Amino acid sequence: MSVERLREALLDGDQNRAVLEAKRLVDGGAPGETIVTEAIEKVMEQLGAKCTVEQFNLLEIMLVGRAVTAVMKGLFPEGAPCATVKGAVVLASLEGDVHDLGKNIVKTVLTAKGIGVIDCGKDCSLDKLIEAAKRDNARFICISGLITSVVPQVRRVKGLCLARGLGQIRVVAGGAALKQSTAQSLNVDYVAENAFDGARYIEEIVEASL
Amino acid sequence: MPWLSVGEGVRIPFQPGMSVRDILDGTDHRVRSGCSGTGACGLCLVRIEQGSAGEPTQVERLHLDHASLEEGLRLACQIIASEDLRITIVGRAPRPGWKRAVRRAVKEYGIFELEEVAAGVVHPLGIAVDLGTTFIGLSLWDLTSRRCVSDRQGVNPQAEHGSDVMTRLLSASRSEQKARRLQELAFEAIGEALEDIGLREGINLEQVVRIVLVGNTAMLTLLGGTNHELLLKPRYWTLPIDSPGHWLQRWPARHAIHPGASVWVVPSLAGFVGSDLLAGVLSTEMTEKSEGALLIDFGTNTEIALWDGKSLWVSSAAGGPAFEGAGIGCGMPAERGAIFRITLENSILAFDVVDNAEPLGLCGSGLVDLLAVLVRSGRLDEAGRFLPTIPADGFVLSSAPPGIVLTKRDVDTIQRAKAAIATGVQILMAEAGQGGKQIKRLYVGGAFGQWLDIANAQQIGLLPDIEATSIRLCGNTALAGCEDLLMSPSSVKSLERIRGCAKVVNLSDHDGFHDSFMENLYLRRMKIG
Repeated sequence: MSVERLREALLDGDQNRAVLEAKRLVDGGAPGETIVTEAIEKVMEQLGAKCTVEQFNLLEIMLVGRAVTAVMKGLFPEGAPCATVKGAVVLASLEGDVHDLGKNIVKTVLTAKGIGVIDCGKDCSLDKLIEAAKRDNARFICISGLITSVVPQVRRVKGLCLARGLGQIRVVAGGAALKQSTAQSLNVDYVAENAFDGARYIEEIVEASL
Repeated sequence: MPWLSVGEGVRIPFQPGMSVRDILDGTDHRVRSGCSGTGACGLCLVRIEQGSAGEPTQVERLHLDHASLEEGLRLACQIIASEDLRITIVGRAPRPGWKRAVRRAVKEYGIFELEEVAAGVVHPLGIAVDLGTTFIGLSLWDLTSRRCVSDRQGVNPQAEHGSDVMTRLLSASRSEQKARRLQELAFEAIGEALEDIGLREGINLEQVVRIVLVGNTAMLTLLGGTNHELLLKPRYWTLPIDSPGHWLQRWPARHAIHPGASVWVVPSLAGFVGSDLLAGVLSTEMTEKSEGALLIDFGTNTEIALWDGKSLWVSSAAGGPAFEGAGIGCGMPAERGAIFRITLENSILAFDVVDNAEPLGLCGSGLVDLLAVLVRSGRLDEAGRFLPTIPADGFVLSSAPPGIVLTKRDVDTIQRAKAAIATGVQILMAEAGQGGKQIKRLYVGGAFGQWLDIANAQQIGLLPDIEATSIRLCGNTALAGCEDLLMSPSSVKSLERIRGCAKVVNLSDHDGFHDSFMENLYLRRMKIG
């Protein structure tokens, strides 16, 4: 099986070509899981390495994200099977922050790495966020923030988790408004420099516990 | 006490433990800044020439690559100075001071009601003020002859506390003291501009009997000192936000104008849509005709108004200050040394520079030209990717120091800014049920001067494809409308009519926002129905 052409199509952000290439592989007998590990995860790694501070381009990432989502949908119409093994991530932009571009990129990156994501949307209240984390037995809460007005809310997440008996949940923060802060000042477990960095942190913890 | 030396001649004593930015802020040698010193903006660049500035912080590593750090580049807000240090300021703050603006042709005004004029003033004068996020513009008028006496344009000093409105609103809502400081800054700046006119042009400001001021909602609430916290909550983004004006009573005494002068801060419409946009609509007279028209008032917060013959659909798109030359590595305001026009002749790039000076960077219209030319010549693809033959650092426009380089990151910033605006235009058109054919006139106001190349702006999707003969570059429409309100009672009535037929659209509420935004990140023509 050659996944080279699928990788190229994904990295070019060419949705149609990527879906076609994935179908060709499936028709040739390749298992969905292999396509994920050999093509999609590799492409996300390459993209992660490419997206340094100087070389970041939003459209490029969104295009790859869209192509990856389409291929995943074709491979697993019912949702990725590995998601339940690795444990769920609850993801949101908090109350007052209506920007969800960054959050959606995180969602794509995590999904492409086979991590289940429960998306609580934008302008999400802390109550709703904690409720979702409890209901879906989440291992991580990820907060994407574009405007600094959400900082006081971010600081409260950990405490609210503890109060609800969810002290084991790791809280990850990222996004333009939060990435300048330290984990300590935000009272979170980790501050991610970008979506790829956050995904790396989550993966490391998941793998260590498997 | 240790000393901070700037360049060769300047030495400033300081208390150990202060940041270099804070030390410089107390002097005339301020460093450029777009945030309140948190490291968010990355603009306060200095080069360490001598002495130890300590290890770069995480924030500095985020903004500066390895090569820059090696070269000694650092962020002034992140360096806590403890011993003698010699630096060069790389990113200087815009020089304070006020400049004359380019004047438009004078309109015919209606009859001014003289009974409103304070008694005993022989030559009553009036002032129109446009309080913008980045710039403040004001003009002084002879109310009897309806002649413009003088005008000034300058930088809004609040920018020291954040280049975008959100940062400033947040600052103000965190502490009463900060709110008062922001209010004072705007107030003082207007006072300085007036004083400058008074002194340089020998005008007795006591003759000023009327002031009219317009601005976006954020600027008006910060000036009023109340309600700025409401704008941080999305549910207020379509609601009217009042900015009470009782404090205005103090104005005449503060600025030594006529004690009986009337001060009118024109209230904003709702959410982020301010009275600057209403004034802009007024000045274009777009709602006076039955045919469809579009006004895009470019700024840090770009405001858009669409007239469909009956209703005025308005919105605000937070595109950031890219087209004002801020937040772009090679960007600068349209000042001396700014490249304002680029053309491609026989595969050679030719550029025009403000004052014919040595080029230092690009202003908004220059950036638009550069992107269009790069895409047209195949050096940059529509997705914002440079051709593989272009060095990883970016496209070098000039290698002579300080060097002008358009990086991939700059392209990304411009893509985002123009996508926010294009998405706003498309959503307004969809809400109003208007297609491109129904828009007969397009008014371009704000950031871009008269040099914006329409064809280039259309090629990269910054402006919709409307017959170029019906596009007008209007400059500061907000100030023009404010002048109308200063002079003519009929304009005041028109403004109320405009207010009555306005419908505010909140872009982030719109389902199609995300897809539309992504589509508009491409450097290609804007799709309009």
